[in-house]
Amino acid sequence: MFNALEHGIRKRLNKWLFRLHAPEPGEVFLNQRRVFIVPTHPGLMFCVMLLALFIGSLNYNLSLGFGFTFLIAGCALIDMHLTFRNLAHLHLTAGRAAPVFAGEDAQFELHLINRRKYDRYAIWLDFVTDDRSELAQAVDVMANATRSVVLATPAQERGWLNAPRVRLQTRFPLGLLRAWSYWQPDAKALVYPRPEDHAPPLPLTGAEKGDGLGFAGQDDFAGIRNYQAGDSLKRLAWRQIARLAPDLGGALVTKHFEGGAAAEIVLDFAQLPHNMDTEAKLSRMTRWVIEAEARGLPYAFRLGSISHAAALGPSHQQACLRALALYGKTG
Amino acid sequence: MPARAGPVREDGVNMGALYFRSFRQHMTRPMSREKTGVLLLLFSCSLVIIPHAGHLPAWVPLACAALLLWRCWITFRGNRMPPRWLLLPIALLAMSGVLATYHTFFGRDAGVAMLTLLLTLKLLEMHARRDLFVALFLSFFLILAGFFYSQSIGAALMTIIAVLAILTTQVSFQYTGVVPPLAQRVRLAALILALAAPLMLVLFLLFPRIQGPLWGLPSDAQEGRTGLSETMSPGNIAKLAQSDEVAFRVKFEDPLPAQSRLYWRGIVLGTYDGRTWTPLLSHARHSSRVVINTRGAPTRYQITLEPHGRRWLFVLEMPRTPPRLTSNQSFVTSELQLLASQPINDRVRYDAASYVDFDLQPNEEPQVLQQWLQLPDDFNPRTLAFAARLRNQFRNNTDMIHAVLRFFREQPFRYTLEPPPLGTHVVDDFLFSTRAGFCEHYSGAFVVLMRAMGIPARVVTGYQGGEINPADGFLTVRQSDAHAWAEVWLEQRGWVRIDPTAAVSPDRIERNLRSVIPRRVLGGLLDIDANDSVWITRLKQLRQNWEAITNAWNQWVLNYTPEKQRNFFKWLGFEGADWRTMIALMFALGTAVTAIVVLPMLVHQQKRDPVDALYQLLCTQMARQGYPRAPHEGPRDYCTRLTAPASPLTAKRKASVARFLALYEAVRYGVPEHVPGAYLSQLKTLLSECR
Repeated sequence: MFNALEHGIRKRLNKWLFRLHAPEPGEVFLNQRRVFIVPTHPGLMFCVMLLALFIGSLNYNLSLGFGFTFLIAGCALIDMHLTFRNLAHLHLTAGRAAPVFAGEDAQFELHLINRRKYDRYAIWLDFVTDDRSELAQAVDVMANATRSVVLATPAQERGWLNAPRVRLQTRFPLGLLRAWSYWQPDAKALVYPRPEDHAPPLPLTGAEKGDGLGFAGQDDFAGIRNYQAGDSLKRLAWRQIARLAPDLGGALVTKHFEGGAAAEIVLDFAQLPHNMDTEAKLSRMTRWVIEAEARGLPYAFRLGSISHAAALGPSHQQACLRALALYGKTG
Repeated sequence: MPARAGPVREDGVNMGALYFRSFRQHMTRPMSREKTGVLLLLFSCSLVIIPHAGHLPAWVPLACAALLLWRCWITFRGNRMPPRWLLLPIALLAMSGVLATYHTFFGRDAGVAMLTLLLTLKLLEMHARRDLFVALFLSFFLILAGFFYSQSIGAALMTIIAVLAILTTQVSFQYTGVVPPLAQRVRLAALILALAAPLMLVLFLLFPRIQGPLWGLPSDAQEGRTGLSETMSPGNIAKLAQSDEVAFRVKFEDPLPAQSRLYWRGIVLGTYDGRTWTPLLSHARHSSRVVINTRGAPTRYQITLEPHGRRWLFVLEMPRTPPRLTSNQSFVTSELQLLASQPINDRVRYDAASYVDFDLQPNEEPQVLQQWLQLPDDFNPRTLAFAARLRNQFRNNTDMIHAVLRFFREQPFRYTLEPPPLGTHVVDDFLFSTRAGFCEHYSGAFVVLMRAMGIPARVVTGYQGGEINPADGFLTVRQSDAHAWAEVWLEQRGWVRIDPTAAVSPDRIERNLRSVIPRRVLGGLLDIDANDSVWITRLKQLRQNWEAITNAWNQWVLNYTPEKQRNFFKWLGFEGADWRTMIALMFALGTAVTAIVVLPMLVHQQKRDPVDALYQLLCTQMARQGYPRAPHEGPRDYCTRLTAPASPLTAKRKASVARFLALYEAVRYGVPEHVPGAYLSQLKTLLSECR
């Protein structure tokens, strides 16, 4: 009971202190109110050392000792302002976020804009998520320049994924203090359903039979092709990857399996077995869309009220995947 | 699957896997790869250690140099750091070395040696980023320890350089991406230092000072000070006279007395063992009340005494009351030595008033006088015989004294810093064979003669003369002004000062030693006569200026005592301020100074194009009408919307807005040749019409 109360208060306090609002649209300016600063562990050690130096100077009546102690104390104070300045008054905007398949990492592009006349160094950015991974990356933003950073977060569910809260922190220049700030970027990434791993072959005559019949899929090894988003990791052609020198553009390659001849394909959600879970059905549809696109087979697509005529190409694929991602989701 | 992150390159490839780094990895990453950073760290640490090389036993700096070179080599070669099992024996060896040298781990010198070795060993045991801070903090302690040995201007400059190097190192280790060139990093460190300087000044002046020490100092904290010793044997003042160190400085409030009267009284010596003069043993001493009859007006002055590690204070002969010292009581003995109750281990300052014309103890008791007549048996037979002869020749004590002085003057006595060695009968040899000596020879021999004739006499050591520094008007008394003279007790007149050296070398008293004895330069290869070279005068002037600066440094920086601080507060208008007022004032001034220093860094003045500013004004004006410009709208779209029939603007204003926006568009995006010259004033007029 008490714990719950404390938790609530803490949450409110955090919300008020760190301004944990809804995403802020447009360009965000890190004003002075949003930047916080505390000493780091070395900073605390430094304070203890200052005290020791002061007592030493006092005990031995070292006038220069006082001067020296006060000088480095002054340096720490100046460091505080420089650390604060290194982060404050930065402009932030969220950039694009490419769609990903569930199970992959959603990559959010973030822009840091420095409109001041001084360079900013060593600003660490990371996403604040519940599992609190301590992964961060550092950037330098030169005077009157913009830097872009891509931060990744695992995409678990299909649908829209809002960018998690970003924490920006810096210890520059002396490392005695840490300034930090939170930012909720206004960015969301579209997450397609996870492609089914061992999906049945493409329904080449999909109108009559939904499952089991057909040629495509995993029967005969038909060579390798370039890796494409959504390919199963199990199908990576490791031997070939190892052989390709990285400086020759050593990309990932996937084993490609082939069945029979091409025919018209209709990917119809309604045709999938009724006892299947909706998510599983979406997963299978996703796999089929990728598969058909990879093999260059035009495919028609039907999902609920959405219906696309047979076609091929990135825009068709994206429209289909988008429909799959947002199926049954509002907004 | 862990989240992956990476900066985006221009070509759009995600280099996340390559730049995969986490905060923790960054903190514990081995630093041997950051070679320049490590070399910079080594440089800063050697800057900190070098000033200590002078006063540490030779093996410590050598060991440190070896360890530092090893560390350099490791860095250059990119080798592995030495393992623990190798470092541990080295550390133990270093520690036992310290123990063998000092027989303790405590105390000043042993502590500094330990700290120095610890720092160098720490450099070999750096694995994580926090070790960098440990090394830097150790360096700070070593810098502070350096002030035990020297607090000169040079030491301060060296400290500033070392702090600059340390800050540069600390900054260098904070970069994560591009590391700017060294010059830029040094500039940043210098900026931090420069901005910290005003704050330091405020804290230094206003931070409430407490008189230390808080606890007992280690016994060796005050070693190696030069100054008069409490015994006098042939040769030890002469040795002191070759030191140019300052003994004390005097600021006269009243006119300076004649040089020949500047006798700075120190130690009174009464016991003689045939070679060495020592003070009378205190427990076997008869003493009487001090009576001084003075004539004339006193001369007031202030002495800043350099620490000499002993208890006596020097005053011009003869003060009526002992000077008052803060936190160190002083008292006067019956033979008129001034003693502080604690050894003078810090520079002290005291006011005194002296009467150059005086009678000391005119009515001394015979019992007391008897103490000043003792001579060792079986020494100096020829001297005793000579004294007996003089005693028979003259009835009067005064005549006898004059006869002795005449003897010194008329016989070929020489005044020299390098007298020939003397045998067992020191005074015999000096008076009758070598006849060359320094003030201790003359005063010692004189007192022996006096006592042999039955006149109570004693040796007084102290300083004589001093040099006025024209740069600041302070009289500087150096160790080379150390002097010994005699006092004899005469009926009615009391103790009378007699300086036998003056009989031999009157110049020594009239001017000062440096002009009397040719200076030896380059170990005696060159003798420079002090009076005939332009260069010497120039050098002297230079030295005087430098000493004036040093004196100011001592007065204002090193001698900023609680008392001086009170005076400073008084000067600020806070008389009798307690510590609360002081702290409040410190915070107020500190905040003001910080604000002055820091705010210009935070204020951001954006230079705006005047045309843009006017456009912005129009937009805000229209926003007030309920028509704010949408972020995506250009001037033309905005114009269309503003001049549309739906907008509430009057036709005339619509026309003005349209013209304004058309002109703006032409200026901003049009061909420069087609833009009218006076576009700014036109825009302004149009803007006022839009209102």
